Amino acid sequence: MAFNILLVDDSLTVRAVIAKALQLAGVDIGNLYEAGNGAEALEVLDQEWVDLVFADISMPVMTGEEFVERLHESGTIEDLPVVIVSSAGSEPKIQRLKELGIRDYIHKPFTPEQIREVVDTVMGVTSHD
Amino acid sequence: MTERTREAVANTFVDVVEKLTFMFGEQVSIDDVAPGTDPWVEARMSFTGDVQGSLAVIVPQELQPDIAANILGIGAEAMQKPEVLDDALREMLNVICGHVIRAIAGPSSRFDLITPVNVELDDDELKTLMADPDTTAYLLDDEPVLMNLKFERS
Repeated sequence: MAFNILLVDDSLTVRAVIAKALQLAGVDIGNLYEAGNGAEALEVLDQEWVDLVFADISMPVMTGEEFVERLHESGTIEDLPVVIVSSAGSEPKIQRLKELGIRDYIHKPFTPEQIREVVDTVMGVTSHD
Repeated sequence: MTERTREAVANTFVDVVEKLTFMFGEQVSIDDVAPGTDPWVEARMSFTGDVQGSLAVIVPQELQPDIAANILGIGAEAMQKPEVLDDALREMLNVICGHVIRAIAGPSSRFDLITPVNVELDDDELKTLMADPDTTAYLLDDEPVLMNLKFERS
C-alpha cells in the first residue's frame, strides 16, 4: 500500500533528507507533499489526502507545536498520524505533544532505520527488508 | 564559558557532525586555526526558555559544499546553489543547538529555538570572534570550524 506523506520543515535540506530516508527505508510512497511551515501544511491538508505527516517544531509563521494544536482542536490528529522530527524537543515539550496526539518523536539527527521503524509502527506495516 | 560547558559543546559537536554529516570532527586549540583567504560564513540562532542566548557555527565558505553534500548524500560538485549551502549550514547548527542546550541545561529543560540566519563575516568580525573566550575551535575533516556560545540561565 502506498502512503501519501507530507513533510513539514522550513529546511529544504531536511525535507530532502527525510524523503531520501523514506526511499532508503523502502517505504511505498504515493504522493510526497512538502510544506515550509505549519500554515502551509494546513493548506496542503485542506486540498490533499495525506496518510502520514512528518513535522519539525521550530518553523517560522506557524511552529510545529501550533500546527499540532490546530490538528488537535479540529480532531484531525485522531485519524492522521503525525510524527515530529526535530532537535528542539525537550522532555516537557515532547510530553505535551504526545498529549496533543502525535504518534511518535524522532530526534535529529536520525537514520533511515529510525524512519522505517516509525513508519512500520505508526502505519502498522511489516518490515520492507 | 566554563570548562564543563566547553566540554559539552565539544562532545555535542563531534557527535552530531558524525551522525549528521558523516564527517570527522575534533576539537582543537583556537591558535591552531588559520583564517586563510576564503570568506567565512556564520550561521547563528537564538534560544529562549530555561537557558537563553545564542549559538553560532562559523565555517570557511569553501567548506559549505562538503557539509551540504554529506548531509544530503550527494556529490559536493553538485552542491553549488547558495540557498542550499546556507540551508544545510543552518540545519547543522539547528541540530547541534538542540543537543547543546539539553547538554548544558538538562533533558527536562524547557526551551524554544529561533530560526537561524546566515551572514558572511569580514576579517574584523572573524578576528573578534576568534578572540572571544566563548568561541571554541574544531576541525571537520581537517577544515576549521568555530562555535560561539552565549547563554545565561533564566
